[in-house]
Amino acid sequence: MSSETQKILTTDGIPLEVSLKKVERRNKFKAFLLVAPLLLFLLIVYISPIIGMLFNSVDDRMVTNALPKTFIAMEKWDGKDLPSEEVFEAFYIDFQKLIEEERDGKLSTQLNYEKNGFKSIIKKLRRKSKSFEEGNYKEQIMAVHERWANVEYWRAIKRRAPAYSYSKYLKGVDMYQNESGRFVQVEEDRRIYKKLWVRTLKIAFYVTLFCFLMAYPIAHLLATLPLKYSNLLMICVLLPFWTSLLVRTASWMILLQQQGVINDFLVWIGLVADDKRLVMMYNETGTYIAMTQILLPFMVLPLYSVMKTISPSLVRAGKSLGGTPFITFWKVYFPLTIPGIGAGSLLVFILAIGYYITPELVGGASGTLISNQIAYHMKYTLDWSFASAMGLMLLTGVLAVYWVYNKLVGIDNIKLG
Amino acid sequence: MRKLSKLLLTLVFALSISSTSYAVTVASWGGAYTESQKLGYGDPAAKKLGISINWVDYSGGLSEVKAQKAAGKITWDIMDVFAMDTINGCDEGLFVKFDFDKDFPAAPDGTKASKDFFTSMPSKCAVGNILYSWTYAYNDAKIGSKKPKTIKDFFDTKNFPGKRGIYKSAMHNIEMAVAASGTRPGKGGKNIYKKLSKAKGLDAAIKKVEALCKDPNGGCVFWSAGAKPPELLMQGEVVMATGWNGRFFNAEVGENAPLKQVWDAQGLDYQYMVVVKGGPNEANAMKAIAEMTSAEGLAGSAKYIAYAPWRKSSLKIIEKGEPWYKDGKTNMMEQMPTHPNNTQNYFLLDPLFWADNGTEIGEKWEAMKSGL
Repeated sequence: MSSETQKILTTDGIPLEVSLKKVERRNKFKAFLLVAPLLLFLLIVYISPIIGMLFNSVDDRMVTNALPKTFIAMEKWDGKDLPSEEVFEAFYIDFQKLIEEERDGKLSTQLNYEKNGFKSIIKKLRRKSKSFEEGNYKEQIMAVHERWANVEYWRAIKRRAPAYSYSKYLKGVDMYQNESGRFVQVEEDRRIYKKLWVRTLKIAFYVTLFCFLMAYPIAHLLATLPLKYSNLLMICVLLPFWTSLLVRTASWMILLQQQGVINDFLVWIGLVADDKRLVMMYNETGTYIAMTQILLPFMVLPLYSVMKTISPSLVRAGKSLGGTPFITFWKVYFPLTIPGIGAGSLLVFILAIGYYITPELVGGASGTLISNQIAYHMKYTLDWSFASAMGLMLLTGVLAVYWVYNKLVGIDNIKLG
Repeated sequence: MRKLSKLLLTLVFALSISSTSYAVTVASWGGAYTESQKLGYGDPAAKKLGISINWVDYSGGLSEVKAQKAAGKITWDIMDVFAMDTINGCDEGLFVKFDFDKDFPAAPDGTKASKDFFTSMPSKCAVGNILYSWTYAYNDAKIGSKKPKTIKDFFDTKNFPGKRGIYKSAMHNIEMAVAASGTRPGKGGKNIYKKLSKAKGLDAAIKKVEALCKDPNGGCVFWSAGAKPPELLMQGEVVMATGWNGRFFNAEVGENAPLKQVWDAQGLDYQYMVVVKGGPNEANAMKAIAEMTSAEGLAGSAKYIAYAPWRKSSLKIIEKGEPWYKDGKTNMMEQMPTHPNNTQNYFLLDPLFWADNGTEIGEKWEAMKSGL
């Protein structure tokens, strides 16, 4: 067919095809210009910090650059017994340079992350090394403190030799790489992160489930009630949504505490004895209750917007064809709401998995999540590279959820409105 | 007319710049404590030096100032910090190193500053501010007829059932656990730290706290802000809570709450001030910090809260001026953690121990907490 048709020309003699393409390209460029600000914004405030975090979590050049001679001397050391005089001498020379540049404090902080107890022995070495005599540095350094004669500490230094390392990621799942290069779990009384990952996933899952169970009927009412009532109901849903997160969490604290409103009421109606008031806060229960309430609108709104588009005549048709109310709901109505369920669940789950402030305030010890640990390392231990590593692991988790969802349901099926 | 308004605008602009850039910003712990600092020595120093001093709240730790530095815009000039943080911050080069006798004024009788302070500083960047104490308190109206008296009672859930409020980090909790299992602290608490530097002793201490928290008659509520323990006690959320003595004093005397403090095995600790290196107004910050930590300055803050001043000469000023508390009838000296009545059994928190072992203990502590 196409071979028979003649090339169509525009009025100025250019083939129509070429002319169209030109216009299309110009349009595409215009469209790109329109989204360029957003793209740039994302690049600056979203992509680049993530790359920075990734870099931060593996970057270990500070220690590598601080002890260059030591690490060269250590290459020959097998890590079994104490290193040779050569290593000690190199360490002494490196260390003197650090003192001159006042960088020894930073080194001690970094080494202390690797193994506890470095802080004080480095400080002591700094004081004592001023009166060191030339030669036989091994004896002299070992005399400063017994820990300098402990091979564990030298192994710890050697572990920090590579300029980039993934050890923080291992730490994030309670593992480390031992001298022979094997991955092993840390001692039992120090395992914490795996437990927290599991708890975070569990709480996020249940919060999503509770949100779904509560939001579905609400959304259905919103979509089917006459405008007069549904508007009122909508305000009830939106009002808490507009209230500050902190205010809502604080109100939950007033409601849930042992001398709080709910307990007082239960005692008053005689359901609970005064000395056996329910513990609903500073534990997992508190986290569940507060997070479910706070995240509920994120489930209601997508569900509502999808239900609004379902024509009531479909259900009527199902009924008139002989379906019971349940069958029509299950076979006709429910499948049509799946895009809304998907959108809502994904939203709630992803928000819940990284929740910080609510668990911090009402969660106590048993209701805290992985993000609270990230904050702990940001704020108190100041091990920012570890915090970055955990942050990225969390992000990867979210992306994995997204991927699984896409495989199972398909991201095109999501509908927010 | 137009020229005039332009001129006025420029003037206003210049004024706003100059007034903000000459102000010194101090980051402290908020609540009754910051109030005592502001009224006690902040405002007098500001008046004397003719610079304004702003107070902002933070909850401790160096992360914020580190973040400010990383972002290239430091907004704090002076910080009120734990001993451990002066060591870590000095090591990291965050704070200004002092030339102590040159930077700080002598006592009224001419004693050099370095001699007027009780002990030497943990790092070159620190200047002592107050001595405070970790004690525990109970709500007298709710505890019943039997009253807790010793540190052992804090762990005694048989006689005193109910939840306990404790600090969220391991600090002070494990020292308290060692003291409660019968170890006499010894001089300055050295027996306690001897126990804690051995793995066995540390594990036993953490286990003791864990047992208290898992006890069905006990249980723990963790607090982080200093204002929280009195609040938890008043709400009846806990029966006993550890906390800072000044906060308990403030609730008890200042607000007439029925709280009672137990001084047995109190953990004495020093609080320090530091000047942030490269802060917005380093020169004025140095002047302000010297004025605030002078003998009169430190004595001034004790008018508002029961924390002991660092300088010996400040104590003399208070003694002479009794009743020193702002209500004009409470004697301050006996409310101080350093008063002989309160130091029958005490220990000193060891900053070097925490700087060294904080990370590892923190890991074990967090692991214990995550299993509650």
